[in-house]
Amino acid sequence: MSTFYKKLGAFIVASAMLTSVFAGCGSSNDSGAAGTGTAVSSSGSTAAADEKTDPFMKFDKPVTIHVGQQAYPTQKFPEGDTNEDNVFTRYLKDNFNIEIVVDWSAATGNDYNQKVNLCIASNTLPDGMQVDRKAFLSAAKSGMLYDFTEIFPKYVSPQVKAIMDSGDGIAYEYAKYNGKQLSMVGVDVAPSGQSMLNIRQDWLDKYNLKAPTTIDEIEAVAKVFKEKKPAGNSTIPIAGPDKKSSVYTNFLQAGVMFAGFEPVFAAYDAYPGYWIKDGSGKAVYGTNTENSKKALERLADWYKQGLIDPEMGVRDSSTELVNSGNVGMYFCAWWSIGYGTTDAYKKTPGANWQAYPVKADDGKWYTRMQCPVASYTIFNKNISEDIAKAAVIINNIWVRDENKLGSQNTSIYWYPLRNSMGALDECETSYKSLIKVLDGEAKAEDFNDPSSPYKLLYNDAKNVTTVVKDYSKEKQLSISNFDVNSPDFARLYSILIGARPTALATPDKLIYSEVYSQTPAMEAKWANLETAEKEMSLKIITGKDSTSTFDEYVKKWNNEGGAEILAEVQKEMDSKK
Amino acid sequence: MVQSKTLGSKIFKVFLYILMAVLTLSCLYPIWYAFCLSISSKVASNSGMVTLYPVGFSLRSYTEIMGDWKFFHSFWVSIQRAGLGTVVSMLVMILMGYPLSKTKEQYKPRNILMWVVIFCMVFNGGTIPWYMTMVNYKMIDNIWGLVLCGGLPVFNLILIMNFFRNLPQDLEEAAVVDGAGPWKILFGIVVPCSKPVLATIVLFTSVGYWNEFFQGLVLSSGDKHYPLQTYIQQMVVNVQAASMSPDQAKLMNELSNKSLDAAKVFIAMIPMLVVYPFLQKYFVTGIMLGAVKE
Amino acid sequence: MNKRMSSLKLQTHYSIMVIPGVLWMILFNIVPMTGVVMAFKNYNPGLGLWKSPGVGLENFKYLFSMSDAQRVIINTLIIACSKVVLNIVIPLAFALLLNEVTNMRYKKFVQTAVYLPHFLSWVILASVILNIFSLDGIVNQITGIFGGKPVIWFSMASYFRQLVIGTDVWKEFGFNAVIFLAALTGINPNLYEAATIDGCSKWKSIWYITIPGITGTIVLLGVLGLGNVLNAGFDQIYNLYNPMVYSTGDILDTWVYRIGLVNLQFSLATTAGLFKSAISFIMIVVSYWAAYKLADYKIF
Repeated sequence: MSTFYKKLGAFIVASAMLTSVFAGCGSSNDSGAAGTGTAVSSSGSTAAADEKTDPFMKFDKPVTIHVGQQAYPTQKFPEGDTNEDNVFTRYLKDNFNIEIVVDWSAATGNDYNQKVNLCIASNTLPDGMQVDRKAFLSAAKSGMLYDFTEIFPKYVSPQVKAIMDSGDGIAYEYAKYNGKQLSMVGVDVAPSGQSMLNIRQDWLDKYNLKAPTTIDEIEAVAKVFKEKKPAGNSTIPIAGPDKKSSVYTNFLQAGVMFAGFEPVFAAYDAYPGYWIKDGSGKAVYGTNTENSKKALERLADWYKQGLIDPEMGVRDSSTELVNSGNVGMYFCAWWSIGYGTTDAYKKTPGANWQAYPVKADDGKWYTRMQCPVASYTIFNKNISEDIAKAAVIINNIWVRDENKLGSQNTSIYWYPLRNSMGALDECETSYKSLIKVLDGEAKAEDFNDPSSPYKLLYNDAKNVTTVVKDYSKEKQLSISNFDVNSPDFARLYSILIGARPTALATPDKLIYSEVYSQTPAMEAKWANLETAEKEMSLKIITGKDSTSTFDEYVKKWNNEGGAEILAEVQKEMDSKK
Repeated sequence: MVQSKTLGSKIFKVFLYILMAVLTLSCLYPIWYAFCLSISSKVASNSGMVTLYPVGFSLRSYTEIMGDWKFFHSFWVSIQRAGLGTVVSMLVMILMGYPLSKTKEQYKPRNILMWVVIFCMVFNGGTIPWYMTMVNYKMIDNIWGLVLCGGLPVFNLILIMNFFRNLPQDLEEAAVVDGAGPWKILFGIVVPCSKPVLATIVLFTSVGYWNEFFQGLVLSSGDKHYPLQTYIQQMVVNVQAASMSPDQAKLMNELSNKSLDAAKVFIAMIPMLVVYPFLQKYFVTGIMLGAVKE
Repeated sequence: MNKRMSSLKLQTHYSIMVIPGVLWMILFNIVPMTGVVMAFKNYNPGLGLWKSPGVGLENFKYLFSMSDAQRVIINTLIIACSKVVLNIVIPLAFALLLNEVTNMRYKKFVQTAVYLPHFLSWVILASVILNIFSLDGIVNQITGIFGGKPVIWFSMASYFRQLVIGTDVWKEFGFNAVIFLAALTGINPNLYEAATIDGCSKWKSIWYITIPGITGTIVLLGVLGLGNVLNAGFDQIYNLYNPMVYSTGDILDTWVYRIGLVNLQFSLATTAGLFKSAISFIMIVVSYWAAYKLADYKIF
């Protein structure tokens, strides 16, 4: 019985490989099992439909993928390697027979986006490239993209599938356009959308203050910072957004603003920038609520008292401000405290930044949740089926082998078509596991599971004991426990300090935006509404406009297309029921 | 009377020299600031500590930019581009500017051509059609693409035309009487008499070619083909998103580097500083047209 | 004996001379210019330029139906026109003054120094400028001496345009002066000598000799500047502005850019570009015509 199934399995795999070879462009019939091949292909498509495919298969013939690649100029290769011939491409070539040809490359950021936009605009897509949502939608709308609806589920590895499925599979929604999966997406961990209070614990200790939790307590602490000036005359109790950011992110943007004020709003049960339900279940725009107005009033009051950076909104860079060591508090997500501001610890040794949740007056913790998809990899619709398979497989390989490949002396950014994949609860799980390791309740080897969706955990567990020193179970981890110069410092500090609030407590209310994408009316009208919104929020907080202008703004917002958009959002909400 | 005049002019002189000194200082300050940034440590630059002098001396930015054969390669691409581009466009502009400096009676299509030129200065089809045309012309990774893709340098052409037109007519008349043909007049009389202007245009053109980086970016498939400004431009990553995923945040922190940003400005400026004095002598002292006339 | 070429032969020679320029212009200016049809289409890259559906003037209507259109165009005009004018007047004044500096070394030094800011990108300059105008920056320290209260300059909508115009003129005056310095060398020095002998004061000789000598250049640069009448300088404003100064600082290019941030709007950028070009062209034609009719002066 069992041998029968084994044989059947082998037979099906062979047939799948053969059909794939025949489907591939320019393929020839020199495969080893040519004789059986003809027999199989007649037996047909039903076998292929429920076949078990290998998510890590090695192609018989080299499959070449032409890519547009982001370049990372300061991340150099070891002598002799190039972006087409490096540890990653050789790994793909040797083990999977996938060859990478770089059609063009450009520095990540604006340069790369320019190239991507031109490629789409002139309809000259390479086989594959990584883009943002805007570019993905544009290319999808123009009908340029390969449809992964069938290939993806067949070749996806269980590990990638687990990540995609985390959070009720919301990631699939984003990968789709008109019901077809036209992209492969990168998934971002959930805490990236939750802003915490980051605060200088060493300043708190200096004045014997307790870590603040509510808005009132934050204000009290800020007043002390302002009065006592722990960093001299240039002390700034609370940093604010800089000239390129805004007071909060909206539903179209992933993540949170660096030094934005999302948690202050949330403490008032306000979610500006998100489409939310009001008490009766009807759609409202979170900015235009009474609660938002109250939060704005409070922020304006803080600004007036000099608790918030007087130059918020004008400053060149808030990150720079935090790095300078003059700031007592700011709001941002888990990554900011480590990844985001490593220079702060070098500039001011002993700056003991800690993260805490911000709670409402009733002690409840409200927080908003982000759209979990952060990046898109798109493929030209004219690619062969083999290339499409290879595309899925490259992604599988990355997630499985990031641990191994990441420890080579080539920056992981150079991995071709790399999507950053993190299970939504990766931060929390990592935090708890690493604390177990520190407590001596678990060993690094316990996490050595190649199919785990928490792909970096094993590495982190191995490193944590060398980076964290003098750990004691009773005492809260502080900067003095960490080796600031270790290459793993940023990651471990982000997880152990930045992600601690979400790992240790569950928010009382999680708010998702009812819609994270554009409705038709937004295409024409959103840019203007957003401009007006940014202008309003910044002007009210900095006292350029009084809070009474808020109501005028809401009226104007409705008149200039907001009402129309709201109706569309309502329709979309109704259709989901 | 005479005394008060000299006193007045002395006061004027003092005022003039002080004014010039103030202007000079105001222009040198940002350069000095950028220089200080470029030789300060990354931590100091990124935390806004540098204002008047370097903090935490470090040459790392320079070694990072120049410690790569690609730097010298793109330097060479830029030299080729600026050299070839300046020669080609000067030649084309001189040749075209001369007939255009004639009246409609002397050269019949002159006015129509002039308006087409003006039209081309003002209108363009936008980046996308331009890019598609360049792809059709096979101008990707091609030095001629970098030279020609900007189109005819109309602004400079009109300047040249205008100066040619304002040259004294009798100069040419005399040559015509001597039986000189138009080519001989152009290169034997008109060009030598216009040296200050031509030097200025050479400066404008070469600076233009040297500083251009957008075309260098979109017409190159990768850093092997970048001109220097593009290469330097992409050394400093410019990530737009104010909100970031941890992946981007990590990247930003690894790459964001004000020192590097400042160093690139410096290195890119040097060749233009070297060229300037050579050209400067033409428009500071110039060639006196009056002297030629006699 | 007259060896003059016949007019026809001369014309042939002239035509040969313009051939390289005309070819360059046709291939690299005019052929890509066909892309302006994009402004009248709903461009779909999948279909290509010619097969994309035409939408007539929809894109223009869209552009002007936006509530911000008016303030954006007014800002653009104010900033761009001021820059056009001041970028001629200030460099001209500077060139004339520099011409009075007799110490050659000092003259060359000043000239080289002021020429440098042209080479700094706005990304770098913006951080310098924001620094200088920050709350504890140099400007507030100076006004503080005279009893002024510190001001966050770049958060004040009422100062933003002046700051943008001022910093742009400051960045470019040294470079722009080069063309005037070149023009000044074209003036016959004998004229000055004659004027001095006639007892003309310095100011008079500047007014009656120098200025008329370079009027042609000034007018030409002015008219060519009209080609930029709606280009208020994207890079500069993008790096300096913030939502608090949108009311006075938002220009056509930054506005189109923000719309493009929400979704890739291929046609809209072309539409805005075409609008700018058309306005510029009209301005140039009008000024040409006016100069010709009123002063019988042909600019081109």
